[in-house]
Amino acid sequence: FSGILAQTVTGTVTDSSGNPVPGVNVIEKGTSNGTSTDFDGNYSIDVSGSNAILEYSALGFVTVERSASSGSVINVSMEESTEELNAVVVTALGIKKEQKALGYSLTEVSGEAVAEVPQVNAINALQGKIAGVNITGAATGPAGTSKVVIRGVSSLSGTSQPLYIVDGIPINNQNLGSASRWGGSDYGDGISGINPDDIESISVLKGGAAAALYGSRASAGVIVITTKSGKGQKGLGVDISSSYQLETVMTDLYEFQTEYGQGLNGVAPTTQQEALDAGMQSWGARLGSVASAVQFDGVSRPYSYTGDNIDKYYETGTTAINTVAISQAGENYNLRFSATDLSNDDITPNAGLNRKSFSLNAGAVLADKLTLNVSGKYIIEEVNNRPRTSDSPGNGNFTVALSPPNIDVNNYKPGFNEDGTEFRISSNVYQQNPYWTAFRFKNESDKNRFIGSTTLKYQFTEGLYLLGRAGIDQFTARITSVEPFGTAYKPRGGMQEQTFNVKTVDADVILGYDKQITEDISTSTLIGANSNYVKNEQINLIGNDFVIPTLVNIENVANRNYSYNLGRVKRNGLYFSSEFSFRDYLYLTVTGRNDWFSTLSKAGKTAPNNYFYPSVNTSFVFSDAFEMPEWLTFGKLRAGYSDVGGGANDPYQLALTYAITDTYTATGPTVSLGGINNSALPNENLKPFSKKEYEIGVDLRFLRSRLNLDLTYYANKTENDIVNINTSTASGYSSASINIGELQNKGVEMLLSGSPVKNPNFEWNVSYNLTYNENEVTKTDNDGNPIFPGDAAYGVNSQSGYLVGYPAATLYGTTFVRDADGNIQYDSNGAPSIGPNAVIGQGVAPWTMGITNTFNYKNFEFSFLIDGKFGADIFSGTSAFANFYGASNNTLVGRENGLTVSGVNAAGADFSTTIAPENLSLYYQRLYDIAEANVQDADFIKFRQVSLGYSLPSSLLESTFIRSARVSFIGRNLFFLMRNTENIDPESAYNNTFANGIERFGLPSTRSYGLSLDVKF
Amino acid sequence: NELDLQYKFPKAILYTSGQRYESWRGNLIYCSTMIQHLANTQGYWSGDKYFYNAAYSSAYWDAQYPQTIKSIEDMKFQLEAEELTASPEYAMVRILRVFAYSRITDLYGDVPYSEAGRAFIEGLTRPVYDKQEDIYADMLRELEEATTALSSGTSSLGAADIIYNGDLSKWKKWGNSLMLRLALRMVKVDPAAAQEWAGKAISGGVMESNDDIAYITHQTGGNGIIRNGNGEVFTADRSARISKTFLDMLEERDDPRIRVYAALPPTESGFVDDDPASQKGLPNGLDGTTIQSYSGGDDLSTYSEPNSKYLMSEGAPMFWQTYAEVEFMLAEAAVRWGLAGGTAAAATHYADGVTAAMKYLEMYAPGAAISDAAIADYLVANPFNAANALEQINTQYYLAIFLNEYEAYANWRRTGIPALTPVNYDGNATGGTIPRRLVYPTNEAVLNAENYNAVISDQGPDLLTTRMWWDAE
Repeated sequence: FSGILAQTVTGTVTDSSGNPVPGVNVIEKGTSNGTSTDFDGNYSIDVSGSNAILEYSALGFVTVERSASSGSVINVSMEESTEELNAVVVTALGIKKEQKALGYSLTEVSGEAVAEVPQVNAINALQGKIAGVNITGAATGPAGTSKVVIRGVSSLSGTSQPLYIVDGIPINNQNLGSASRWGGSDYGDGISGINPDDIESISVLKGGAAAALYGSRASAGVIVITTKSGKGQKGLGVDISSSYQLETVMTDLYEFQTEYGQGLNGVAPTTQQEALDAGMQSWGARLGSVASAVQFDGVSRPYSYTGDNIDKYYETGTTAINTVAISQAGENYNLRFSATDLSNDDITPNAGLNRKSFSLNAGAVLADKLTLNVSGKYIIEEVNNRPRTSDSPGNGNFTVALSPPNIDVNNYKPGFNEDGTEFRISSNVYQQNPYWTAFRFKNESDKNRFIGSTTLKYQFTEGLYLLGRAGIDQFTARITSVEPFGTAYKPRGGMQEQTFNVKTVDADVILGYDKQITEDISTSTLIGANSNYVKNEQINLIGNDFVIPTLVNIENVANRNYSYNLGRVKRNGLYFSSEFSFRDYLYLTVTGRNDWFSTLSKAGKTAPNNYFYPSVNTSFVFSDAFEMPEWLTFGKLRAGYSDVGGGANDPYQLALTYAITDTYTATGPTVSLGGINNSALPNENLKPFSKKEYEIGVDLRFLRSRLNLDLTYYANKTENDIVNINTSTASGYSSASINIGELQNKGVEMLLSGSPVKNPNFEWNVSYNLTYNENEVTKTDNDGNPIFPGDAAYGVNSQSGYLVGYPAATLYGTTFVRDADGNIQYDSNGAPSIGPNAVIGQGVAPWTMGITNTFNYKNFEFSFLIDGKFGADIFSGTSAFANFYGASNNTLVGRENGLTVSGVNAAGADFSTTIAPENLSLYYQRLYDIAEANVQDADFIKFRQVSLGYSLPSSLLESTFIRSARVSFIGRNLFFLMRNTENIDPESAYNNTFANGIERFGLPSTRSYGLSLDVKF
Repeated sequence: NELDLQYKFPKAILYTSGQRYESWRGNLIYCSTMIQHLANTQGYWSGDKYFYNAAYSSAYWDAQYPQTIKSIEDMKFQLEAEELTASPEYAMVRILRVFAYSRITDLYGDVPYSEAGRAFIEGLTRPVYDKQEDIYADMLRELEEATTALSSGTSSLGAADIIYNGDLSKWKKWGNSLMLRLALRMVKVDPAAAQEWAGKAISGGVMESNDDIAYITHQTGGNGIIRNGNGEVFTADRSARISKTFLDMLEERDDPRIRVYAALPPTESGFVDDDPASQKGLPNGLDGTTIQSYSGGDDLSTYSEPNSKYLMSEGAPMFWQTYAEVEFMLAEAAVRWGLAGGTAAAATHYADGVTAAMKYLEMYAPGAAISDAAIADYLVANPFNAANALEQINTQYYLAIFLNEYEAYANWRRTGIPALTPVNYDGNATGGTIPRRLVYPTNEAVLNAENYNAVISDQGPDLLTTRMWWDAE
């Protein structure tokens, strides 16, 4: 019976050279019973009996097992493990390499980390987790896009988004439409369709050296996503995961004034017409000073604060993600199939999305030397009512935020009149009833997408192989958008039916040869060829003026129009890569790629249509080369240089093109109308641009990897960037394509990670990343003119663009006029004068950081992520309009006794006046025009993510068919630890292209929290 | 890779006619209200109260240079490259070009002209601003050469000439009529040149009847370019009302055009009350609050708008220059210089002008026709008065060119007729005076800085109040 008697085991753990090892976990296998060794390597543990198996584990050592039956004193000698230091990561072209061989910085994030708190757009899960990667989700709801900027803005043409590779194939990350100065909706991007539950790992190739094999497409970095396969599965496995999250508006962000009600000049409306004319204007009387006032609908209601309209209008959103995955593997094959349903009910009434993803990955050894991998994904995405943002027409966010405090949005319901027209809340036809926009506007998009790839590899000999890979990303998207009959600004309504048919075909052939030349030297070489073809077809049916008011059908319109666009872009490349390693501690890799561009090819053109992109990088693991002190477990120096870049992204930039656009029959005969199709001046001398970068770094691990430091310095410079420089419109063209842009980034990336506490029952891991990126635009055109992207980056009298000597995305707009002493100039009414356009802020944060803490206690895991960005500003369109309409708290100053302003007058003399309360709006409405008054500091620290998980103990599951089960409470964007903006989220942007640092009535920010469950059978 | 002129020419004409964007901001929001043809209580109708709105002020420029001017310069270049400068089409393009530029320079003053629209042709992305004086000299020379090149016959463009269906004699008459307009524009600054060019225009042969009117037939449906730009605005924005100034002038003369010009907004049942007795003009300079203390009442549905039966349609014709205007100019030339038949003929030109101005309204719709009897009555009640000729002629000019507000605004600045009482709304940008021009696009200061700074130092500050060359004090 000795087996069931408790006994105590003691002993000492030493390493291979006999030195004691502290902090080794000693656990009784299959239980949560455990301890760890002290500083001298000693331990003592009570075990259940002599049948118990003890497991000794420590970071940096091979785990050892001993049976308790071997005695009450068990001394263990542990072998240093090289496995962790030899981690294998996915690099360019999907090639797996030992991390220590890399002469550049590469961060790999596991699928678990991505799916921990699953995001509708999976890439958002990387926010704050990777040094050098700046991710911002647009304020356009869960179906919206994300902006991912790696190592700073590297092109003035707005293509600073990385290349996404999924299972070896570049996917299309095209944005199907985004909001601009005049409003609009964000129709999502390509990466947002990738299912977070299918992701095995994400490799972020930050620099040119890492990504150079992708040549012209690598200028903004590459993100390589590998999806899960059945590899390593023993027998049949079933994995079920579910999560359910609730989203609520961060109402504490919004602090509009609640003391003065609707009206003008200090007077509350007395008639319906006055109320309608006042509209969003909160320049009325003090609430309570009159008992009641007539409102937009002619009803008189108490003139008092009615509560938070944002809270009342938006609903609690929900996101449910359910995945079933089946995987199996045998000697010659592996297989995984998954199906996911993602359903989201957005915070805006009557909006949401559903996405069904099916994924099949299969691998097989077909013959002795021939292996096949196929991967296919089918994604069906249906989005209902993507919100309109930016400008007010059809943008319910605008009217909800600005409705005067005595107006209750609930009284806007149901949003329509008996005759089916919009229930007006303002005389301004462009200020929509938010219930009209939510329930009568329509904005539906359906996207069906197939991403598939096949890889065939033939291994001639141990070292020589031939690999062929071909893939396709093909989608059709249908967008139906309706401005209904009866809309105030479009009385007879209209609609659009858009169809996108986009196909990306990509194929590679690679011949590789690996050879151990001598005992010390080995090489790995490959040569390859790539062909990439993108066909982009868009059909747009436009109808205006519904004939039968209620029949929403593109045939039911009085005015019809259509447009058809076809773009075809091809690029071909040849590449090679050679890696030499010496004694597994010194590595040198040289790569080269030449790309040819169809977009830069034209008969008779003399400027080159191709470019050679070289790179070289080296890694030196000095801790393997030399004897190192005990505390330094691993040390590596790395350095890399690369020249990557790109061709022209858009076709048809070389020549003047004409188009037949319309048919005119007003005078009888049919007359076709045609003319120049270019709005940008074409340039037949365009050539590829290049981005040169070098980076040096160090990777240090101390105390058997209890403390790790990864530090990188990089500097890159983009030259001959193809930019659309702005031209005087009087030239006939508003812009001209030209190879002239230059900008540079310099930065430091730091990743500090460690395990401050590591006991069998309790473990604390922490990871901190910090990035500083200094960007400077060094050339725009020969005259140093700024480049503004125009309507895509427009605030109010302000825009975000590129000025020589300033960082990319500088905020530029109207200013106060000040004299030499800094006194503000006022006009005779006391309103500040509008000064010339000048730099008023910086739209992209130079500092980003994130800290992740993970605590494991027995079967519990608690982790949270805090991230922050510093050094940026944001132009707040909300602030501009809130000044105009008297909605913000700052407009309270002067309401009762007038506002005294002091400064100088136009002649420069001292000036002071008191603006009477009834004229106060003059002053604040002038602030609307002065962009400088509406720029806010965008620094923030956000409590980004939290998760508390519990895994059922394996002892409990032992007798069941369940292999593992885990349940977690999850939360995302719960609160700000630091924020300086008023009434907006400092991260709010209305598109992911150019609107860096420009906010204009996006969807309010939400916090989300919920539950996730993962069960494996 | 050139496109045939038969496609480019009609598109360029429609671009010139203007689309919703610039018709809304330039023609209606600014010109129509500054000139007190229309009035509006909405704050964004900047011209009503002389506010400066950068985007509205520059809208005409922003829309016309990249569309109209680019298209016309492209056609001109094509014909020059193909050595077709002797063709009638080249003359037609030149006349159209002058009309397009004249509207731009009359709104802004010194503007890019010799280097404009030529970015592709000559690589000029930052065109110089030409002095208005030089632009006028060149435009007149262009018209002289173009009209000289034309006689009679038909252009091969045929129906693609959507103004005159290829009738070259009508192009010639329009070219001379345009020359007369530009000539008179110079009376304040260079009377001698004005007289000389008016003489050339008249002897070259100007419009002789309403059949010669330069106008564009628009249609509903299709893209904005083929619709009437003003009509598109009225579809979207029905806030404009007939100015009290304008309606009062019509009523004082018991004008039969009241029922064509003005009507109350449709009732819920769709009834449009265009009984002249029901009409009420809205004073300029009122807002939603101040109208409440106005004696006319604050219900905007009781104020007249442009008659929706005839004038507000997207299919309404757009008139560029009418025969009536030509007759009024002939009357003025007769009075000033004894041209066009001499002083004695002034009365006839006046009467023909009034008659034409009333008769042409039937081109909007048959219902808008004014009877001969009504015209005769009007002429009896408002006979030509030589003692007050210029005021009378130009008042009729003002009454005749409703909705062609660019021209109404230019002719008012030239003549000061009719005498308008400016409004003086709090915070206006002109110190309570009617603006003399529109302000250049703000981005010109950045994107075309050297030339912009030069024009400012030359012409004066870039303000609504700065006078352009021909608008001498």
